[in-house]
Amino acid sequence: MAASSGKPSSRLEELLSSSKRVEDLSLTDDEYEDMETISTVLESANATYISSVALPLQDLLTTETSEVQDETLEAILPFLEGNPNGFELNSFGIPKLQRKIHIPFLHHALGDYPPQFAAMDASKPWILYWCLQGLTALGCSVDDYRERVIYTFASCQHPQGGFGGGHGQLPHLAATYAAILSLVIVGTPKAYSSINRSAMYSFLGQMKQADGGFTMAPGGEEDIRGAFCALVTLSLLTLPLELPPDAPARKHGLTSFTDRLGEWIGKCQTFEGGISAAPTNEAHGAYAFCGLGCLSIMGPPKETVNQYLDVPHLVQWLSYRQCAPEGGYNGRTNKLVDGCYSHWVGSCWALLEEAAGPGIFNRSALGRYILSAAQFKKGGLIDKPGKRPDAYHTCYNLAGLSAAQYQYKFDERANGDIGQGALGAPYYWKVDGEWQGDGVWGKVWDKDDIVQLIHPVFVVPWGKAEECRSYFEGKKDL
Amino acid sequence: MPKFYHDDPEWADIEPIAQEDGGPHPLAAIAYTDEYSEAMGFLRAVMVNNEYSERVLGLTEHIIKMNAAHYTVWLYRAKVLEQLGADLRREIAWLNPTALKHLKNYQIWNHRQTIIDKLGSPEGESEFISTMLEQDSKNYHVWSYRQWLVQRFDLYTDEELKWTENMIEEDVRNNSAWNHRFYLVVGKKDGQAVPEDAVQRELEYAKAAIRKAPQNQSPWNYLRGILRHNKLPIAMIKGFALEFADVEKPDDVYSSHALDTLVDIYAEEEDKKEEAKKALELLATRYDPIRKQYWNYRKGLLGQTSAMA
Repeated sequence: MAASSGKPSSRLEELLSSSKRVEDLSLTDDEYEDMETISTVLESANATYISSVALPLQDLLTTETSEVQDETLEAILPFLEGNPNGFELNSFGIPKLQRKIHIPFLHHALGDYPPQFAAMDASKPWILYWCLQGLTALGCSVDDYRERVIYTFASCQHPQGGFGGGHGQLPHLAATYAAILSLVIVGTPKAYSSINRSAMYSFLGQMKQADGGFTMAPGGEEDIRGAFCALVTLSLLTLPLELPPDAPARKHGLTSFTDRLGEWIGKCQTFEGGISAAPTNEAHGAYAFCGLGCLSIMGPPKETVNQYLDVPHLVQWLSYRQCAPEGGYNGRTNKLVDGCYSHWVGSCWALLEEAAGPGIFNRSALGRYILSAAQFKKGGLIDKPGKRPDAYHTCYNLAGLSAAQYQYKFDERANGDIGQGALGAPYYWKVDGEWQGDGVWGKVWDKDDIVQLIHPVFVVPWGKAEECRSYFEGKKDL
Repeated sequence: MPKFYHDDPEWADIEPIAQEDGGPHPLAAIAYTDEYSEAMGFLRAVMVNNEYSERVLGLTEHIIKMNAAHYTVWLYRAKVLEQLGADLRREIAWLNPTALKHLKNYQIWNHRQTIIDKLGSPEGESEFISTMLEQDSKNYHVWSYRQWLVQRFDLYTDEELKWTENMIEEDVRNNSAWNHRFYLVVGKKDGQAVPEDAVQRELEYAKAAIRKAPQNQSPWNYLRGILRHNKLPIAMIKGFALEFADVEKPDDVYSSHALDTLVDIYAEEEDKKEEAKKALELLATRYDPIRKQYWNYRKGLLGQTSAMA
């Protein structure tokens, strides 16, 4: 029953023989030859590492799940062991962060789209957010986009409050979330003041449900994204916690946006320990981040997360999302690794470790997956080798890389006077330095591979959320 | 054949509202086709007028054909159907092929839920869901929709249970099917214990699945989930877990999940902390080393009394 896999070393042999061929062709170039030898040694070290973290136990029974898992690993291993893209390697023998190709990819994604992209018509706010966040993570200024960001979103704002996917579209909490974060990223009072706050307050009041959760749109689905997007908006815009007088939830005895919310999130924790979109749905990585994010806005995570969730159970489920030997995360039990969960799962840890204690997750393996397997040859980041890059996977792989590289700490004394009022908890984070290895695993990135700091709850550049909150805290009226 | 409205006498009373992207060079602008652009212009206009009519129904259908990922069109269509008192069976018949064409679409499922809720009957839904799952057996929206159906129409039936069995039979690693089964078994009465005979049945069911493939985490989670839900001691499955792993026989481990389970079993026993540590050591060094730090965290929990209950 216990079958140990001998695959990695045999595949490495193939790799070595193919790189030998390259060597033969370039015998005249001594320098190149040296480089080749060095990289071959490093690649062999990678293969040894991969063998050391592969799960030794594999069942013989094959089902659809095990078949696609085997195929996937087959496609990924060459990227973890070698360097099929021919990227320049860092001192750990791992591809460097390819800024030079990722940056143009994101700039391009902000540009014009041909007609066949009409399916994106309702998701334009997301495209903007993913590109802007991705660019800032790579250290680019997005100041030159400010004017265009402001007027692009002005056309998405609904007269009755909230943002939609475009002109004339109904307000939606996902579009609202992406719009607010984009405006926060470009910043300045001009961007902040383009938001119709009083209408937003009224729109959010319409989304609050009797059971404590939020719907995504009028007549739309109720799920944990709704709760997270609503709380992010309420907190950044410093809106009152009290429900508007005409909020339908008031008829059911609720008076505050956070009434019954913690309990509702608690009900989303499933028997597996993870968090689902809504009670009884399957535990899923992206919803885990939404749930933890929500609780981290409601108060210090050490208090709120412990109050409403079974922390050791969630830690267990999240730990199991890390695929071995891939190192990246999957989103659900028995599903495939996907670069976007580098963020959705990877960024849970900063919040959850506040409640559970530090040092629980394998940052090194996550960084390896992102740098080795999730960078696309021509720029942009991906789900997994064989997939095409897009702004979504680029943004969230980079956010995941940031989560692996930095440590954050909740500190009641951080940021002085900001965050005194309602939903002020997320303004009390401080950076606890770059991660330097933990005695079990070491880092696999050099200085050049380090992305920018990201706010652990809002997923915007460090300092930007505080600027926005500070601006709105200074406003007396809605 | 593209369809246009500007020269259609039926639409002569409507002044379309042109797309306004806010400025000279909006970001991520799409060069819409004339057909899409015009249809959206008419939709914006009828929405401003709150028009709910047959022709608007046709207009929304036209736009959905061009872009099924447009939540505004779906939400407005639901409103039109409601206002018109339209034939909802006909709507479902139209929806089926549309859903099959757009497997990953979010909006279709919310729309379907709205319609079926109004219809007040789940007739035909199970069959349709099965067709969808044949294409994508772990589709999150489809499973979530099925969970809603069970709650809405009280479908905590033997038939539904049998269906999850078939799904699990097809792929014992389909975690979505296990999740569905779990809430089917425990979900009817929120938070209440499951009857004794059902607990026994479910424990045996999960154990049989584990014996087929001991490294499959889904039935392990299920097994422990049932115990946890009924507040039963995890010691109840000690003998079973020992079939797959024994800390005294480190070379004969057949499931890392059995080791994980044994950690919690030993943690609750008097004077068994050493055994628990041994299991954690085996996981960290040999059977699941990528999670070394996590196993270390679990070691820390051993010091705290019944933290893992």
